[in-house]
Amino acid sequence: QEGKTVSGVITDQNEIPLPGAEVKVIDKEIYDVTDFDGNFTLENVEEGDVVRVTFLGFLPQEFTISTNNTYTIALEEDTDQLEEVVVVGYGRQKKQDLTGAISQVASEEITRQPASNAAQALQGKVAGVNIINSDAPGSTPTVAIRGLGTALGGRDPLYVVDGVPVNDITNISPSNIESMDFLKDASSAAIYGVRAANGVIIVTTKQGKSGKAKMNFRSFFGAKPILNQVEMANASQYITYFNEENAAIGGDQLNQTQEYNTDWYDEVLQTGFVNNTVFDINGGGENINYFFSYDYYEEQGLLEDQKFRRSTITGNNTFKLFEDRLKITQNLNISTRNENRKPYGAFNTAYRQSPLVPVFYPNGRYGGSYYNRATGEATYIAGPGESIGNLTSHGNPVADVAFQNERFNSVRLQGSVTAELSITDDITFTSRFGARKEFARGRVYNPIQQRWLNSDPTRTVEEFENLKAQNPEQLQYAYNELSFNSSENYKYNWDNFINYNTNFGKHNLDVTLGGSKEQIGIGMRDDYRAWDVPEQKQYWSLKHASDQYDKQVNQTYLTPTNFLSYFGRVQYNFNRKYYFTGTLRRDGSSTFQNNANYWGTFPALGVGWTLTEEEFLANNETINFLKLRGSWGELGNANVPLNSTQILTDPASGGQNYVFGPGQDLIFGAYIGSPAQNLSWEVVSEYSAGLDYELFDYKLTGSLDYYMRTTENTILEVRPLLNSTFSTNFFDHGAEVVNEGFEFAINWSDEISEDFSYSIGSNFSFNKNTVESVQRNYEGQLGGDLGNGQITKRLAEGQPLGSWWLFEAEGVWQTQEEIDNNASIGGARPGHLRYTDQNNDGVIDDRDKTYHGSYIPKYNYGLNIGFNYRNWDFSLDGYGAGGNKVYNALLNTRIGGENVPVSVFNDRWTGPGSTNVNPGADRDARASDYYLEDGDFFRINNITLGYTFPEMTRFISKARVYVSAQNPFIFTKYSGFTPEISGYDPNDTNAQGPYRTTGIELSAYPLTSTFLFGFNIQL
Amino acid sequence: SEEFLEVDARENIDAEDRDENFTPDDFVTGIYGMFTEFDYAFAYLGITEIISDNADKGSSPTDTGTDKQLLDDLEFTSTVPSSATMWEHWYKTIGRANYAIAFAQEEGGTNTDRLIAEAKFLRAYTYFFLVRSFGGVTIQGEIEFVNGEAVVDQDVDLSSRNTQEQVYEYIEQDLIDAISVLPAKSEYSAQDLGRATRGAAQGLLAKVHLYQEEWNEAIEQANGVISSGEYSLEPNYEDVWREYSENGVESIFEIQARGEAIAHGVQQYSQTQGARGTSGWGWGFNTPSENLVEAFDAEGDEIRKNATIIFAGETLWDGREVSASVENPLYSEKAYSSASVGDGDGDKNIRVLRYAEILLIKAEAEAQIGNLQAATEALNLVRERVELEPVSGLAQQELIEKIWNERRLELAFEHDRWFDLLRTGQAPEAMAAHGKDFQEKHYLFPIPENQIIQTPDMEQNPGW
Repeated sequence: QEGKTVSGVITDQNEIPLPGAEVKVIDKEIYDVTDFDGNFTLENVEEGDVVRVTFLGFLPQEFTISTNNTYTIALEEDTDQLEEVVVVGYGRQKKQDLTGAISQVASEEITRQPASNAAQALQGKVAGVNIINSDAPGSTPTVAIRGLGTALGGRDPLYVVDGVPVNDITNISPSNIESMDFLKDASSAAIYGVRAANGVIIVTTKQGKSGKAKMNFRSFFGAKPILNQVEMANASQYITYFNEENAAIGGDQLNQTQEYNTDWYDEVLQTGFVNNTVFDINGGGENINYFFSYDYYEEQGLLEDQKFRRSTITGNNTFKLFEDRLKITQNLNISTRNENRKPYGAFNTAYRQSPLVPVFYPNGRYGGSYYNRATGEATYIAGPGESIGNLTSHGNPVADVAFQNERFNSVRLQGSVTAELSITDDITFTSRFGARKEFARGRVYNPIQQRWLNSDPTRTVEEFENLKAQNPEQLQYAYNELSFNSSENYKYNWDNFINYNTNFGKHNLDVTLGGSKEQIGIGMRDDYRAWDVPEQKQYWSLKHASDQYDKQVNQTYLTPTNFLSYFGRVQYNFNRKYYFTGTLRRDGSSTFQNNANYWGTFPALGVGWTLTEEEFLANNETINFLKLRGSWGELGNANVPLNSTQILTDPASGGQNYVFGPGQDLIFGAYIGSPAQNLSWEVVSEYSAGLDYELFDYKLTGSLDYYMRTTENTILEVRPLLNSTFSTNFFDHGAEVVNEGFEFAINWSDEISEDFSYSIGSNFSFNKNTVESVQRNYEGQLGGDLGNGQITKRLAEGQPLGSWWLFEAEGVWQTQEEIDNNASIGGARPGHLRYTDQNNDGVIDDRDKTYHGSYIPKYNYGLNIGFNYRNWDFSLDGYGAGGNKVYNALLNTRIGGENVPVSVFNDRWTGPGSTNVNPGADRDARASDYYLEDGDFFRINNITLGYTFPEMTRFISKARVYVSAQNPFIFTKYSGFTPEISGYDPNDTNAQGPYRTTGIELSAYPLTSTFLFGFNIQL
Repeated sequence: SEEFLEVDARENIDAEDRDENFTPDDFVTGIYGMFTEFDYAFAYLGITEIISDNADKGSSPTDTGTDKQLLDDLEFTSTVPSSATMWEHWYKTIGRANYAIAFAQEEGGTNTDRLIAEAKFLRAYTYFFLVRSFGGVTIQGEIEFVNGEAVVDQDVDLSSRNTQEQVYEYIEQDLIDAISVLPAKSEYSAQDLGRATRGAAQGLLAKVHLYQEEWNEAIEQANGVISSGEYSLEPNYEDVWREYSENGVESIFEIQARGEAIAHGVQQYSQTQGARGTSGWGWGFNTPSENLVEAFDAEGDEIRKNATIIFAGETLWDGREVSASVENPLYSEKAYSSASVGDGDGDKNIRVLRYAEILLIKAEAEAQIGNLQAATEALNLVRERVELEPVSGLAQQELIEKIWNERRLELAFEHDRWFDLLRTGQAPEAMAAHGKDFQEKHYLFPIPENQIIQTPDMEQNPGW
């Protein structure tokens, strides 16, 4: 029997056509998806067939085929479904039903600010989340959720990307992210147990949407100049400064006329460049939804040949089987990364090196900081009886950049397969396998001979050849060194959980139970090196290295970490008015397998009360929604340092080896470190309370949160007593760290007319960090090494983590007489800073150092303004942080003869009475609060103006062009390059941390602006 | 499934899997290794040489070498890093010795007694530094093995100090023990060259007695070394610092150094003291003072002056021309290494104790007890080698002062000058002549402030 053909159109309540709606004859394989105008056609149907229409966000609707051949179906919006849904661990939840503090950021927010890492774009967007950015290409921002609770343990939040727990998201293109959910409080994060102490960020990548294939093409190009450059003294100012310094210490004087006047920042810095191009296609039908994207990101840094490139291919597919009873989701991300790394020390050297030094000498050698002591000229050439001195002890930053030849490549494959089976309408079983594999390889070419020759312009190639001939085994006389290191790393997780979601009358119940097995850090690392390869890059293979020197190879397997976990969560609400959530996670970790108890239990509770569901507020015209939340929970930080093996040896040149015998043969020795003791994970417990509100016809929305979180057993690095037997520092639980704070978010948005809508939003976070209950003998951990023997930080009870510990400057010594009659530090001279004798013992020493706050901002805030007028859109984002102190070590750490900023030159002490604030050219390099400055700043993060072309052609459904200025302005009193000092350094993964260089500007990457042009086209 | 959490270590070898691989030898070698660390190439220079009238800080005027300028100017405080560094380094050396001794006693095996004696010598040598620098210091608790675990003597309170006499007693006991066990230099097999010998322990004990003004005991031990027949003077003074005379006839104890990256010497010892600037090879610290040059000239002592000091513009014995335009006019030649000039890992053996000093110890002790003849004979042996007129007919005090001056010239830049100045009471006068303000408190270095922060009950030295 031949059926008939019917057609029709699917619309919403306002008769606007809905493209992509599914139209299916029940119990038959007859099916269509509406086109762009909402049209559908069904062939071979019979009268009496029932047709079901479904579309995301709308209630499904059914109709019966009658004698009519055309149908117009208006779908009703599913208001329930349209409510914001957030992602919680192992599930989803309506935002209005939360009892914990979860902030969601959607894709438009993430992509508005161009960045290689999505977290960089979110600075100032999420209350309670402090993000410290570095503008270095490919850098990872520091993300702290609700304060810093650990001194030495891992500080990064846990990222869960499509169900795969990972420690970073550098491989994920921001353009592929659908949403990021920040699980801020303990009750939300507790489902991730022993790894959730720093908060959890759930990243969900984009999936195909049902309907016709849509293609997007997006691209932007930008220039990245330095934003806040410090102006350095020129040659003539430098000479004055140098001469004043040397006059005071009996050193040499320089001539007023000199050959060179080098601006080192001009020589070292270039304008960076950024480009990002994305292509994606997505769509879906009855059984399959698909999403594919290719993303290319390229950035050139401020230093010559400093590059970061990343290509990402993403393929996400969803298969719906057995009438949607079984859903299989597959996510795959392939990302390749390619970097040329350059030394950040060049920023530091450019600051210090004298302008009298040329980039190159006429003989082609790189300039060095030489001067003729007799003539006072900056030259390395000496006549008879003349000697050569050094202006500074620093090198040539241009040479540093040129000689560092370092490449880093990596490939990362990451993905997951999730099967969700609806056993009944109420019960869903989910099984997920997630994995990540990474291959990385670094190559370093070190031109040893070139460095040797260029470090002293009088050196000759013949001298080098002689030394090489005389010392055939000494690696320092090789022409060059080529080294590779590579690593391979694999991790997987297998999660199984069951979800039961039901309601009895007004009682709503949602139960999740499951387990997870995870293994991370499976892999190996190797490095190999050889010497004397040909200079041409194409021959940089170990094969071409000289046999004069032994090639070296080293390889080691890594010790993996295994986790075994069980978790459960019960969510109950009565009539969406009273809420209760209980969570329990139990984690076992192989890292702590030597402990008697290596299983940890992490409970959490949450309650909520929606006041607007009560009679006294129901139908209130002003207050549309009001909810109170409260929670408590415990979390763990398993990423902590462990005490190492007791007996120490070193196969290379360690201080326990020695030589004996006439041939001085190397004898390997050993020594005992410190007796190892077992440690456990750090435990964080948190109380949190919050309020969500929606007022004035939902135009004003926001939330207010308070928290108090305590790390109960913070691990400290303990230095054994100086006069005790054992030498190596060890770790022990020895303090509490308390973070207390509140978060405030407010947002107003309104649509004045069809042509004009606007929004304005702001958030504010305040956090107070305190170290408490330090165990006896454990106080005093030092940090913040400036590399010149001075330290700047010290751990103490009652102070924040990473607190500054410094002399207090109280003016400038004006005369020798003044020094003689007062307590002064050794070596004090007029023009030096004068330090306060805090303990009044007549001597200035470390006993007079005091605490001066911390680098950790006490507050940060964001401001977002946006409006749309017809086809124009405009947005402005600002970000500020403050209440903290940062240390200008560029200015402080002098050995002698370094250049200074013009402002320092102009404001210096020049003699009795000139100033009692700023030291003279002759000054000491001690760490004092003089160099500690307010870290407060406010920065315009982004200004964007866009124009969307209305229906261009049949093929281009949407097109938008925009211009954007990123970081165009900063308002700060800080005198260095940037008050935002994360300490990120790709060459030193240990550089960051409260007792490392975070908060100290020494070799920090300067702040840059980005001015870019971009377009988006949708087909 | 709990087995899933039992993960075998792959990256580092577990302690229990390594224990069986270690012998007492390894831990004794570990003590010797302490003497090759960088601390002995920089902090040590500061508190033994730069601080004295023999040396200046050197380097560029603006480069203070952390605290070297303060030491040079006698303006340091209780937080001065150099002496704090050595304080800790010395205590950790003692800790290694204590562990090695306990481990050897526990494990037994061949050479156990000798190894324990070597460890005691090194421990005594290290306590000798501590007592000379800081006075009565804490004697660290010794170790016992209980059920395979090293347990430090719980009765010792690290926040209290022993008296100077107790420390000296401890040192003497260690050395007496060592003397009774250690072989003489010639009794060692060749591959053990460089280990502590009976002669070294006797020589050191002689010096320990000298510091306590126990003259007869000093003479007795010095005579033991002299009559052993194991040692004599190197015929040419300057040869003492050549590579070929390492562990030679005059050498009683020295720190061994091969000078390759894989087997380092005293790290950067030669480099920190090397000539600085264009065509230079080092940092230029610890430079000879004018005061020292004058002392050589006053004695007409050309041989030792030229063997001790590198003059800018001179051609060295190995043919190296030192540029006239290096930054400082004078550098220490005893730290100069011909083969590995400027290398971080120098091949320079550091001469700790040599026969000439034993003669001078004997001379001084004999002079102190009035045996002027014996004193003069010993002194003249040292002077003859460097072609100086023999002394004769000096009165006791004159002779003693002559011997002190001889020590200065003979042993310049061998890290004894400052302690000699303190021991003999010459410091106030000598430092004044060098233009520095020596005060009573300078007889001892301050106990490092970081130690006092850890153990607040520990008593600070007077005046600090």
